[in-house]
Amino acid sequence: MIEIKDVHVTFNKGTPLETKALRGINLTVPEGQFLTVIGSNGAGKSTALNVLAGLAPVESGSVRLDGQDITNWPVHRRARIISRVFQDPKMGTCEDLTIMENFALAHGRTKPRGFRFAIEKDMREKTAERVKVLGLGLENRLDDKVGLLSGGQRQAVSLLMAATGPSSVLLLDEHTAALDPKTADFVLETTRTIVDRLKLTAVMVTHSMAQALSTGERTVMFHRGKIIFDASGEERAGMAVEDLLHLFKKTQGEELSDDSLLLG
Amino acid sequence: MSLYEILGTLETGFVFGLVALGAYLTFRILDFPDLTVEGSFPLGAAVCAALIVTLGWNPWLATAAGGVAGFAAGWATAYLNVRFRILHILAGILLAISLYSINLRIMSGPNKPLLGVETVFDAFGGFGVPTYIVSPIFLGAVTLVVLALVNLFLHTGWGMAMRAAGANPAMAEANGINVGRMKLYGVGLANAMTALAGALFAQIFGAADAYMGIGVIIVGLASVIVGTSLLSSRTILQATLACIVGAVLYRFAVALALNADFLGLRASDVQLVTAVLVALALIAQYSGSGFKRFFKGADKK
Repeated sequence: MIEIKDVHVTFNKGTPLETKALRGINLTVPEGQFLTVIGSNGAGKSTALNVLAGLAPVESGSVRLDGQDITNWPVHRRARIISRVFQDPKMGTCEDLTIMENFALAHGRTKPRGFRFAIEKDMREKTAERVKVLGLGLENRLDDKVGLLSGGQRQAVSLLMAATGPSSVLLLDEHTAALDPKTADFVLETTRTIVDRLKLTAVMVTHSMAQALSTGERTVMFHRGKIIFDASGEERAGMAVEDLLHLFKKTQGEELSDDSLLLG
Repeated sequence: MSLYEILGTLETGFVFGLVALGAYLTFRILDFPDLTVEGSFPLGAAVCAALIVTLGWNPWLATAAGGVAGFAAGWATAYLNVRFRILHILAGILLAISLYSINLRIMSGPNKPLLGVETVFDAFGGFGVPTYIVSPIFLGAVTLVVLALVNLFLHTGWGMAMRAAGANPAMAEANGINVGRMKLYGVGLANAMTALAGALFAQIFGAADAYMGIGVIIVGLASVIVGTSLLSSRTILQATLACIVGAVLYRFAVALALNADFLGLRASDVQLVTAVLVALALIAQYSGSGFKRFFKGADKK
């Protein structure tokens, strides 16, 4: 279970560039829930994800995961319980290493690394089995460097890697945004399957409102560093993209009037 | 070149193979351009010589101690970078210049002769084979053992983590790797190898000298560049072998250039020759047909 309590994040504090990225976020994601996050540019959705991953400096407030206070944990320590898929397919994998070596790295995420060989005997067959599910023929290319794969293939591999080992939380940062529509659909479908099968608590940031509503079971919208909308269950089931769009436009309009107030 | 010269060049080639392995680890694996080696090479020599001469240590132990001192130096550089965010190149320069003073302290002077004392090469004196033949064989064996250890290490869980930390730090962190710690150990390890090379070099040369570190960084880097541009470096084994071959070839290239009378070069021109060789290797690496394109472009003009 993720509990974010009254988290504030300010970038470049005390300088003319000061930006309040998050202004008091409260969010609780129960175990096993698949949450989607939307919002315009600069709304704070990516910052919120970075707060969970440990990349954004929390000014005040707390982040708890399964009852543990992880607010001050460094990224690599959180990685034992939180896995992550990046927006850029190049970020999630190591292109100089082979597919097999990348999976060996992912195995090391949840269990201590040692001076034994990283690629253990049975790891090869298990990995081959896992990548076979993707239907991309990668099971025959385990010793190819990841740099040889296409963006979609790399993203699919990142996703499988993120689902390696007993982690409890999966963070997805617009992980289909850099892919062509067909590959994006494929990666999204794979995401749904994996989250479902492993019963992960997942948080997905997305730009696509259709994607936000059709994936997972709860949607929140960020606006100017705050959560302005939180829908789940029947309320969400009855929503169409138009409703969200309407809401979106309304908040954008407010922003405009706010600005005109400031300027005028 | 006489046989004596060839064996001597081979000898230094193998010693600098260790420096090249260190440079490979920092520049290629960790993506950490490390200039500490300018100081850690003479540090290894100074520690080893001082321990043998002043404290009467066993030469093997003294050589190992030189390596440990190198590890500490590399660790300190990485610490300045990781903990205090000092630019890696600057951190290396800071360590290198401070080591210059430290080395003078350790040797209580600008050099420490190793004449008339027992060195690791004396262990092979009893077989009736002259030292100038045994020592290149011994140094080749040492270099190959280090190469094998580096190879094994880079395939362990830790080694794989180190490779990821250098190649893609964000991904490494997201996979639970403490990137800062990997830099500390990796740069330490690279400097341990460099200092080991320094300790061995001092024992061949017959003295440790405060100035012997000048140009070591470029020699190490040159070996990596020459080796990996001539040979395939697809796997770790190929790349590390290429580094050692590069170090030996590089030494021969320098020796030949200095020996060629028609060029009129003197021993003091060694740094210039180094710079020219590295520049040529880089031009060749710039693209497979770097040279060809260069000359073609000249024709067109």
